[in-house]
Amino acid sequence: MHGDSHSSYRYCVYGIDIVSDTELTMPRHAHEPLCHVACVRAPAAAFAGAIEGAVFHPLSDAWQRSAVLHDGSAYVSWDSVGEFLVAADGRRIACRPAARCSPESFQVYMLGQALSFALVKQQIEPLHATVVVADGEGVAFLGGSAFGKSTIAASFLEAGYRLLTDDLLVLQESGGKVTAYPGPPRIKLFPDMASRFLDRSAGVHMNADTGKLIVRLDERQICANPVPIRAMYVLASPREACREPRVTMETLSVRQSFLELVKSTFNRRLAGAHRMEHQFTVTARLTEAVPIRRLTYPRQIERLKDIHDIVLTH
Amino acid sequence: MSISFSDCVRVAPDVLFRMVSDEAILVNLNTEVYLGLNPVGARMWSALNDAPSIDVAYQALLSEYDVEPERLRADLEELLGQLLGQKLIEVRAEPS
Repeated sequence: MHGDSHSSYRYCVYGIDIVSDTELTMPRHAHEPLCHVACVRAPAAAFAGAIEGAVFHPLSDAWQRSAVLHDGSAYVSWDSVGEFLVAADGRRIACRPAARCSPESFQVYMLGQALSFALVKQQIEPLHATVVVADGEGVAFLGGSAFGKSTIAASFLEAGYRLLTDDLLVLQESGGKVTAYPGPPRIKLFPDMASRFLDRSAGVHMNADTGKLIVRLDERQICANPVPIRAMYVLASPREACREPRVTMETLSVRQSFLELVKSTFNRRLAGAHRMEHQFTVTARLTEAVPIRRLTYPRQIERLKDIHDIVLTH
Repeated sequence: MSISFSDCVRVAPDVLFRMVSDEAILVNLNTEVYLGLNPVGARMWSALNDAPSIDVAYQALLSEYDVEPERLRADLEELLGQLLGQKLIEVRAEPS
């Protein structure tokens, strides 16, 4: 999809106006953007120079590295995926894919983890969540990796519901109403779940270290417009869930909701007083505007129907 | 650090506090620690920060809750210890 010139492509994802110098596999959505981010390719030398003398985040390892640089920009890279340099104001992401990384995989990281740095720098707090749409309203499932967010979403897709976003969620609260924005038209699933729920056995691998596939969704399976959020469900960890023989739901207090939302931040690498102060304010307002519940379910396919029943009747 | 009930409690610098319904949430921007207080904890927090001394807060809470004085004292000391440990409050000598 062409933008203003032959070397510029324009998209809207998560409510963000994205201008890219390379074509992305995303449709263009037309709604008022929350902010603007330009994604531009840069040579290896640009990254090497930027991170000279950088102090990397203590959780950095051979697979993933990140650092906040002296000029306020942020560097993040994944081995076999690529590297990204996010400007201090969050309006520009310089990027470089690794040699053997697929375009699909690179886009997942660019429009996920790397973009989250740009969003936080522009005072948008993304959450780690997947959202399905029921009766025109969004239902969000929050939880860490392997907590079952995408599997639950896939089961809703199989039942004819639409996906709003998978993995990264951008919310905007205004006047006590909370709006959720659509992500890219894809879902990340393990092959057996993709086959079971979406009748798809093919997809592009996320990266060399996981069996998860990036599965593209068609326009009948996605919701391309922002929707109001009806409720958010915090998924219990697999360890907690395995002790529970049935699906249970518990409404959280505002205090518990607040702490769960803070834990569900998509970006744990950017800290500092300014970010925390903003996160505190935004999260407190969200917890007062949306009911948040804890959902515990045994990891059994046949129990997913019980989740549908609970979610659709509350 | 030993705490005297004649001391007064104040919110530490760079700590944000917000009542949400009858509960409370706090964050220390320096240590990046978040904390949630249940309704009783939130009421204790308010009483401690509003009163000129811990003892005045203690007496106020004693009149509000059906609780044994020693139990309340122990709960208050435990909360004060936690809040101090998380650098969410400062304890000062009572102003003259």
